[in-house]
This record gives sequence, structure tokens and C-alpha cells, in this order.
Amino acid sequence: MKETPLSNCERRFLLRAIEEKKRLDGRQTYDYRSIRISFGTDYGCCIVELGKTRVLGQVSCELVSPKLNRATEGILFFNLELSQMAAPAFEPSRQSDLLVKLNRLLERCLRNSKCIDTESLCVVAGEKVWQIRVDLHLLNHDGNIIDAASIAAIVALCHFRRPDVSVQGNEVTLYTPEERDPVPLSIHHMPICASFAFFQQGTYLLVDPNEREERVMDGLLVIAMNKHREICTIQSSGGIMLLKDQVLRCTKIAGVKVAEITELIQKALENDRKVRKEGGKCGFAESIANQRITAFKMEKAPIDTSDVGEKAEEIIAEAEPPSEVVCNPVLRTPGTAQVGEGIENSWGDLGDSEKEDEDGDSDEAAVLDGLKMDTGIEISNHGNQDAPIVLSDSEEEEMIILDPDKYMKKVRTQTISTKQAAVPSKRPTKKRKKKRAVD
Amino acid sequence: METDTHIRADARAEAGPRSLGCSLRHFACEQNLLSRPDGSASFLQGDTSVLAGVYGPAEVKVSKEIFNKATLEVLLRPKIGLPGVAEKSRERLIRNTCEAVVLGALHPRTSITVVLQVVSDAGSLLACCLNAACMALVDAGVPMRALFCGVTCALDSDGNLVLDPTLKQEKEARAVLTFALDSVEQKLLMSTTKGLYSNAELQQCLAAAQAASQHVFRFYRESLQRRYSKS
Amino acid sequence: MAGLELLSDQGYRVDGRRAGELRKIQARMGVFAQADGSAYIEQGNTKALAVVYGPHEIRGSRARALPDRALVNCQYSSATFSTGERKRRPHGDRKSCEMGLQLRQTFEAAILTQLHPRSQIDIYVQVLQADGGTYSACVNAATLAVLDAGIPMRDFVCACSAGFVDGTALADLSHVEEAAGGPQLALALLPASGQIALLEMDARLHEDHLERVLETASRAARDVHTLLDRVVRQHVCEASLLLGD
Repeated sequence: MKETPLSNCERRFLLRAIEEKKRLDGRQTYDYRSIRISFGTDYGCCIVELGKTRVLGQVSCELVSPKLNRATEGILFFNLELSQMAAPAFEPSRQSDLLVKLNRLLERCLRNSKCIDTESLCVVAGEKVWQIRVDLHLLNHDGNIIDAASIAAIVALCHFRRPDVSVQGNEVTLYTPEERDPVPLSIHHMPICASFAFFQQGTYLLVDPNEREERVMDGLLVIAMNKHREICTIQSSGGIMLLKDQVLRCTKIAGVKVAEITELIQKALENDRKVRKEGGKCGFAESIANQRITAFKMEKAPIDTSDVGEKAEEIIAEAEPPSEVVCNPVLRTPGTAQVGEGIENSWGDLGDSEKEDEDGDSDEAAVLDGLKMDTGIEISNHGNQDAPIVLSDSEEEEMIILDPDKYMKKVRTQTISTKQAAVPSKRPTKKRKKKRAVD
Repeated sequence: METDTHIRADARAEAGPRSLGCSLRHFACEQNLLSRPDGSASFLQGDTSVLAGVYGPAEVKVSKEIFNKATLEVLLRPKIGLPGVAEKSRERLIRNTCEAVVLGALHPRTSITVVLQVVSDAGSLLACCLNAACMALVDAGVPMRALFCGVTCALDSDGNLVLDPTLKQEKEARAVLTFALDSVEQKLLMSTTKGLYSNAELQQCLAAAQAASQHVFRFYRESLQRRYSKS
Repeated sequence: MAGLELLSDQGYRVDGRRAGELRKIQARMGVFAQADGSAYIEQGNTKALAVVYGPHEIRGSRARALPDRALVNCQYSSATFSTGERKRRPHGDRKSCEMGLQLRQTFEAAILTQLHPRSQIDIYVQVLQADGGTYSACVNAATLAVLDAGIPMRDFVCACSAGFVDGTALADLSHVEEAAGGPQLALALLPASGQIALLEMDARLHEDHLERVLETASRAARDVHTLLDRVVRQHVCEASLLLGD
């Protein structure tokens, strides 16, 4: 789906508003939109909302062998995905220019600024190091992806705990969270990106542009800083001409904004830590505001399943008995066998059989559906595991069972199910074929 | 038949203890939380959480155009890494379920895209995906002939039936069955199963899923009532 | 990098330069006959080659044509033998994509694209040897190539990198200085107006020092401009001599 183009009137309107120092959402020039951070139940999972822009971050780790030229350093990997959910114009699995730019900016902002002590991620030098993977998913695109993504990345990294390991000689022991508390990553500082949009050849400047403003801007300047007022990355983009003074002024503003955001992040992390320590409820369910009319919650609901047994029994009793037609196998050449005429393979068209199911209207439809699905999809399972034991007709049953105690129940149930299934599918014949092959 | 009665007696004897462990985890749902998609919903079942966004009916690529109905697409994004075969297979299951209920003939030559993002997986993921997709479709106002919901059942090694299993229960289970049911006649729209189970157990799971679906649909109804009520 | 002294007490750098000194720059324009414009530059041991085609009709899908200006298409590649460690560089990895993007952005700002609506300008840059400051070498080479092609520009685009070691800003970093992990800044400047077409920076630098580093980089970029200007004038002289005027 293509992006809806911005009309000339909209463009002019937006630019006029900016000239008059007005923004559509009522913010001032240097205001950020409100930032909300919520954490998931597992470590290293967070959702950051910057106004309506929303990013999901998840950190995961894995033991890998290090890169050849960096034997004692862990590996950091960042991946930002622009999901189609965020905007209809984003196409799945396509490396667009925007995606490359954002991913490189994140890498430079977080990896090159050495905010994480990669040497502490080394387990055995040259053999085993931790690879930390940061996955970021853009869920809703309302402008300023990079700021939201950088906040999400650093929050997720701060929140993450990796399993503890111990090394004895050459043996690496990995401890589960139950055995030993997982350890947090050692983070030196928190770089956060701040974006500045320039309009009318750099005459006007806005902080934290939203999607509409991004579409009319001339260029963007991204400055990543930490709260110690150290600049970690600067990147200008778009065809703008900057002056040195503009850059210096932007760094001053960025310093202030980053300090505010850092404080907010630390408060959110502290809050989550406290809740977890007290054993309170955490996770996304808690972050849904209850008073919203679009949100609704239901407590744990017990389901009365006391009558399922009877119901199942009823259905089985009602089902038609299997047909007694038994075909004689035809032996064409040694090693091949055919049962019936023109046997079709029922493996390829699983999707179609599902569609057919949906159209059934008799009362047993649901039942038969279940059975069909069962035979349709799970044939491989039954086939593999039970083929030597199960036979479709009962007179042969006794011959095959070798260990009656152990297999009795299984065999019986299988017999029933195949009998029930005999009408809708070709399974019995299949089984027979297999058996033949075994013989 | 002798074998049949044996099984039935067995089932009845176990019916008592079986009903004990059956409950749905707490549910939560928020609709219309994203600004870009036409409809969106976040659905939580216990700690499992899925976010869904729906675009449509909208412009469709010429190569995907169907002349007499809407093209339904489902995308499932895993939380870590890139989508693989497991996601593709789930996408297909969800798409087939949606296709059965969405009245695509009302919007020919358009596309309806459902994008699902796994936010956290703590068991019954497919069921949660189905529920999120349904709520997002409702939010987008896509015409449907019925609502649908997903219910997962697990059978543990003792043959006990567990509804809405957690990740741990799923792992320990002998068989995991997921059903999609429609709201009008409680008919089966889709089923997918893993592991070994008998015919009787399948019917029991289905009956239990039908009972559970009543609760899910009541949850849908109440949450929509709350949203569209005037007070 | 323990033990390696990037700046000696006497104020000399590893390769014997002063803090604000550039490496030796040698450049030639019109190295290829079949291209519309081409140039070769050496900045110290960094060597880059740039080729320009255009302005010509849009190649590929017509949908990309811009109604009001020319489309600038930049591609960056580096030779397998350009760095010390030989590794296969898959075409289209994130780093070279980014470099291509940055070059495009720089030249979109500098070329008077509105004079050639619905057309396309291709700039291909290849780094033959990388010894620090690849971005600046690419920009400088591309500027000469664009000038050689006779495409109208606002001004020269001159790029230079700068770093910061022990309270001193260093101009035109070499590979050794870049690898030490200190802050590095690259800047593309339009010297006449002092406007910055592209600015990028990596690693940590305190805000207070930024001004000095910026100042050093822009002074170095102006120096580069003087040199490039000389190269262009010389080239034009030679060309006019050949024409027999």
C-alpha cells in the first residue's frame, strides 16, 4: 500500500503554522511529546511510547564464539524492524534507505559510544562470549522513530538480565534463573538521541517532529548525548545547509532534553525494580489504564468442564459407524501396492480441506471437522508412531499386539478413531499400505 | 463393543478430577490504541500478549487483486529475530480462520491486512493471536458474519485437560490442541493439534473449548459494550 | 590502545604532523575518457576514485523521476584489498549503504538539481585504499568528478575529518588515530558560505569541546578547498591548452 501523499494545501498550512511558531498538537518549539515506558514480564522487554509513536524493545542473549579480531569482547547486535503495522507504506522484509539509516544510527549511537562494557561479556577468551541482540519493533509510526527507538534500546538493555555463568577449567556452567539470580549488563552511560527538524532552509527549528512535520521538513539533525553532556553521535540528513552556530545551539538543547529523559528512564526502571522486589504485579497487563473505555479486563475465569466427558461420548455415539468396505490391495510390481482406485494424496491440500470444513452445516459438522483435521494434519504423527501396531480392521488386532498391557489402551483408542474416521478420509487404506510395506 | 465401554467408563471416572484445573487466565484487551492502523487491539491472556493492527479495506497490489472479494493477508511478527517457517504456518492458520468469517465479497478488489506482533509469549500464543486479530478486525469495522475466538487445550501425561495452558504446561503436555470457534453456532473454524491423543480426548477438548469460548465471547461482548456505552 | 601516544609532548602526531595539519593531497581530474566526469584523489594513503555520469534520462523505473529537480544516485564501494584485513565485502552491507546515502545527501545539497528536472545524475565512488577519512576522500573525489562533468554546483563541497586527543583537536585523522577509539567527526563544507552540507560524529566528546573540533574541521576543509581549487584551475589550463586557445 502506498503512502497517502500530502496535499499542497496541507503542506502550505503546516509550513505557515510553523512560521507562526504554532504546532498542530499545541506544543512549543522545544517541547517533547509525553514519554511513557512500560515493561513486560520478562527481563529486557519494554514498550516506549513517544506521543503516538510506539516501539517495542526486546533484548536476548546467546553464547557464541567471538569475532576473530576481537577475541575478548562480546558482540552487540541491533535490529530495528519497521513493521507494516506502524504504517501501511512499510513493506515487510525490505531494506529501505530509511531502515538502513536508522539501524546504522542506532549502532553508532549505542555500540560506537561504548555504552556497554563489551569486555565484561566475555566468558572464555577466544572461545565463548555473550552475543547481546536488541530487537526493536516499530508498532506505530507518528514521527521521530529514532528517538523512540534509542530510548527503547537503552531501556531494554538496562532492564535486561543475563543468566549467570561460571567457568571451571574449560567447563562453562550456565545457571538457570532459579539456581542463581541473573546478572544485569554493565552499562557505562545512557546515550539518547534527540532530533531536530529544520524548515525553510534552516530558518525554523522544531524538536521532536511528528509524522506530519517530518513530511514537510527540509532536513533533520540527530544528536545523541548522555546526561554527562557528552556527545555520542551527530548525524545530519536531508539536503539542509547548517551553520556552525545552529549545530552548537542544538547540542545545548539536546543536553537539556537528554537529562530530562534520562531521569524519566531511571525513575521508570527504579519503579519496576521496586514492584518486582515486592513481588507485585508487573507486565503489560498492569500498564493498561483501567479507566479507558477502550480497555477491558477480566479476572481468571473458571470453566465448568465436568460435562465434557458426556458430551464427547454423545458425539462419538452419534457419529456414523465406519464403512465396512475393505478393498483388496493390488500388487502391480513387487514393492508397490495400491488400494482402491486412483488414490489421491491428501497431503498437499490441507488448506482446502479446512475451507471445506467451514461450510458444513449439519450438527455433526463440528465433530467431523475435528476428525478431518485430525486425520488430515496429524496423519504423519500417527503414521510414524503407530503404523506397525494399528490396523484398521479388528480381526487382525490380536495378531499384532506384542505387549498387550502396555499398548492395550492406545490400540483401542486408535481403533476407535480410525473407525470413526473411515468415512471422511482415506486413512485406513493408507495404514494398510504402510503395513504392507513393513511386511 | 467391549473396548468402547471400557474407554467410556474410564472417561467418566476421570471426569471429576479433570474439571478441577480448568480455568482461563485473566484476560485484558485494549482496542484502538494505535493511531496509524484502521483498527488495532492488544490482547492479553495471562502473561501472553499480542498486538494486532488491521489495515483495510484499502488499495491492493495489482498482482494480489482478486476480482470478486477482498485479499486477506495476515502477517505475524515474532518478538526476536526474523519470521520463519513457524510464523508462516501460523499466519496461514489465522488467515484461513479470518477468511471464513470476514465478508470479503462486500469489498472486492481491496486488501485487508492483519499484522500481528507477539509482545510476550507465555503459552497459548496462537489462541491469543486469534483473539487479538478478531478484536482488531472488530475495531477496524471490517464486516464479519460472526466473531471468532481461539482456545488452546493441553492434555498432560495423566490425561488431564488443561485450558489456556501456560508455556510450562504446554511443554509438559502430551498433546496441545488449538481450536478456533465462531460465535454464532460455536462451530469449529480451525483446529491444529500437536502430539498424541485419542478420539475421545479430542471430543472432550472440543467440548471444553466450546465451554471456554462462551466466556471469551462474553468478554468480547462486555468489552465492546463498555466501549460503545453512553455512560 | 595502551602505550600508543597519539600526540607527543612536543605537539607532533604519530606520522609527524602538527595537530591542524593535513596529509598530502594529490588529485587528478578527467582520469577516464568514457565517463562524463571522473577524478582520482590521494589523501595520505587513502585513495579514492570517483566517476560521474549525467545528467541523463532516468534509468530504470520512470516513477522515480522528480518533477522539479534531478535525482542524484550515489554508490559507494570499497575494494577488497583496501584494508589490512582482507575480507569479502558483500555488496549492500549496512555500512556501504549508509555511505552511499550520506554521499547522496551531500551532493543533493550541493548540486543545483533544480536546473535538471526529470533527469538523473550518477556518482560512483570506489575506495582503493583506506587509511582513515574515507568519507572525506570520497566527497573530495566526487566534487572534482562532478566539476569535471560540468554539472552546476552551488560551490565546491570539501570534506575533512577531525578528532580530539588530550584536549587538542586533530585534523584529518589517519587510520591509526581513528582506530584508537576517540571521537571522530566528519564534515562536508561549502567553503564560500561556511554552510555545512553534512555533519556526522561518533564516539564520546564533551559538549564543550565540540566547538573547537568543529572549528578545526572546517578550517581543514577550507584548506582542502584551496588545494582542490588549484587542481581544478590547473586542469582547466591544461584542457584549454590542448584545445589550442
